[in-house]
Amino acid sequence: MIALLQAEWFKLRKSKMVPIILAGPMIGLFIGLSANLEDNMQGIEINEWYISLFSMNLTYALLFLPLISGVFTSLICRYEHQSGGWKQLLALPVTRGKVFVAKYILIMLLVLAMQILYLGSVFAVGMVKGYTDSFPMEIVWKSIVGGWVATLPLVALQLWMSIMFKSFAAPFAVNVIFTLPSILAVNSERIGPYYPWAQPFSMMYIGGNTDDVFFVPWEQLLTVVGGGFIVFFLGGYYYFQRKSI
Amino acid sequence: MMGKLLTADFLKIKRKGLWLLTLIGPLGVVALQMVNYGVRKDYLLQQSEDDWGYFLLNVHSFTPLAIVLGIAILTSFIASIENETNAWKQLIALPVSKLTVYLSKFTLLAILLFFASTLLMFFTLSYGLFLELGDTVPYMELAKYSYFPAFAALPILALQLWIASVSHNQGIPITVGIFGVIFAYSSYVLPDWMIWKWPSLMNQWNEPMINVLLGVGIGILLYIIGMVDFARRDVK
Repeated sequence: MIALLQAEWFKLRKSKMVPIILAGPMIGLFIGLSANLEDNMQGIEINEWYISLFSMNLTYALLFLPLISGVFTSLICRYEHQSGGWKQLLALPVTRGKVFVAKYILIMLLVLAMQILYLGSVFAVGMVKGYTDSFPMEIVWKSIVGGWVATLPLVALQLWMSIMFKSFAAPFAVNVIFTLPSILAVNSERIGPYYPWAQPFSMMYIGGNTDDVFFVPWEQLLTVVGGGFIVFFLGGYYYFQRKSI
Repeated sequence: MMGKLLTADFLKIKRKGLWLLTLIGPLGVVALQMVNYGVRKDYLLQQSEDDWGYFLLNVHSFTPLAIVLGIAILTSFIASIENETNAWKQLIALPVSKLTVYLSKFTLLAILLFFASTLLMFFTLSYGLFLELGDTVPYMELAKYSYFPAFAALPILALQLWIASVSHNQGIPITVGIFGVIFAYSSYVLPDWMIWKWPSLMNQWNEPMINVLLGVGIGILLYIIGMVDFARRDVK
C-alpha cells in the first residue's frame, strides 16, 4: 500500500500539480484583497479577521474548492488514461481496490495541503490589511478542517467520474452541473443542508454554533457528508472493480 | 477547404455529448430560476414593479458563470478529441493549413456558443410566459440578455481555445476556466479591463453595448494571437 502511494505520488509530481495547488491561496489572496467589506461593517463590534473571512470563504468554498477537487482527481488518472496506462498499472501485483484507495487518499492529502495554504493566504490578507485583533485560531481551524471534511464525498464522486471518462472535460462538466446550483442552494434553509455540494460552504461558514466541533450539526454532517461519502465511494470502488480496461 | 474542415469537426463531436452540454447550459440557467421562482414566487414578484425585467436580471445572474464554464468545458473537449488519439499529427498532415484548422475549431465553438444563446432566449421566454409576468414581453431586452453575454465572452473563448490547443495537460485550461468563473462571480469588484467581467454586461458607463464591441474587438485580437502561436508550434 505504501509503495502504491509512493508510485502515485511520483506520477502526480510530474503532472504539473504544484501550480494547481498554489491556485488555492492565490484565489484566497485575490478575493481577500479585492473585497472591501470593512467600510460597510464599521461600527459593528466584530473581530477584524472575520470581515475578510466572510467574503473569502464565500467564493472559495462555494465555487473554487468543489471545482478544483475535480481537477485533482482528473490529474491523478491522467497517466493511466494515456496509452494503456491502466493495463500497465493493474498488471502489477496490486488489487484494483488498493489502487482506488491509494488515489483517493492522495487526493485528500492534496486538498488538505491546499486548505493549509489557504489558511496561509487568510493570514497574509490580514497582515497586508494590518489587523490588530487576535487571530481567531479555533474558528479558522474549524473552517479549514471542516471544509476539508466536506470535500470527502465530492472527491469520491469525482474520482469515479475521472476513472470513467478519458477526457478532463467530461468529469469537469459533471462537477460544474452539480456545483453551480449550490449558489442558490445555500440561500435556501430547506435545500441547503441536504445538498452535498453546498456542504463546503456550510462547513466553512463562520458563525454557526461554536460549541460543536464544526459549524454544522453532527446529524447533518453524518447524514449528508457521511452518507454522500459512502454512496459515492462505494459506487466508484465497485465501478472500478468491474471496469474493463 | 474551410467548409470541409468544419464538416469534419462537426462529425468529430458527434455522440460525444457536446451538443448535450450545449443544451444543458441554457436549460440549467433557466431551471435554476424555475427552482427559485417555484420556491418563492410571491416574494420575488414583490421585489420589483417590472416583473419581466426582474426575471431577466435573475436569469442573467447565472448566465456569465454558465458561459465561462461552458467555454472552458467545450474548448477542452475539442482539444482532447485530438489529443487522446494523437490526431493533431494526422490532421495537420492533411493538405490543410494550420491556420484553417484553428479557424475551423474556433468557428465550431462559436456556433455552439450562439446556439446555446438562442436556446437560452427560447427557454427564458417560455418560462417567463409560463409565469405570466405581464402582457408586454420586452423582446428587445430578452434578446439583449441572451446574445450580448455571448459576444462579450468571445475573448474568453479565444483565450481558452488557445490554452487548450497548446497544452498537453488539459488540467491547465480547466484550471484557467476555474479562475475565470471565480472572476466572473466576483465581477462587481473587478476593474473594467478584465475580460471575465464583460459577460456580466457591467461597466462604469452602464452601457452594455461597450462590452459587446470590446468583446468582438479583443476577441478577434486574442484569436489572431492564439492562431499565430498555434501555427508556429511543432505538433508532437
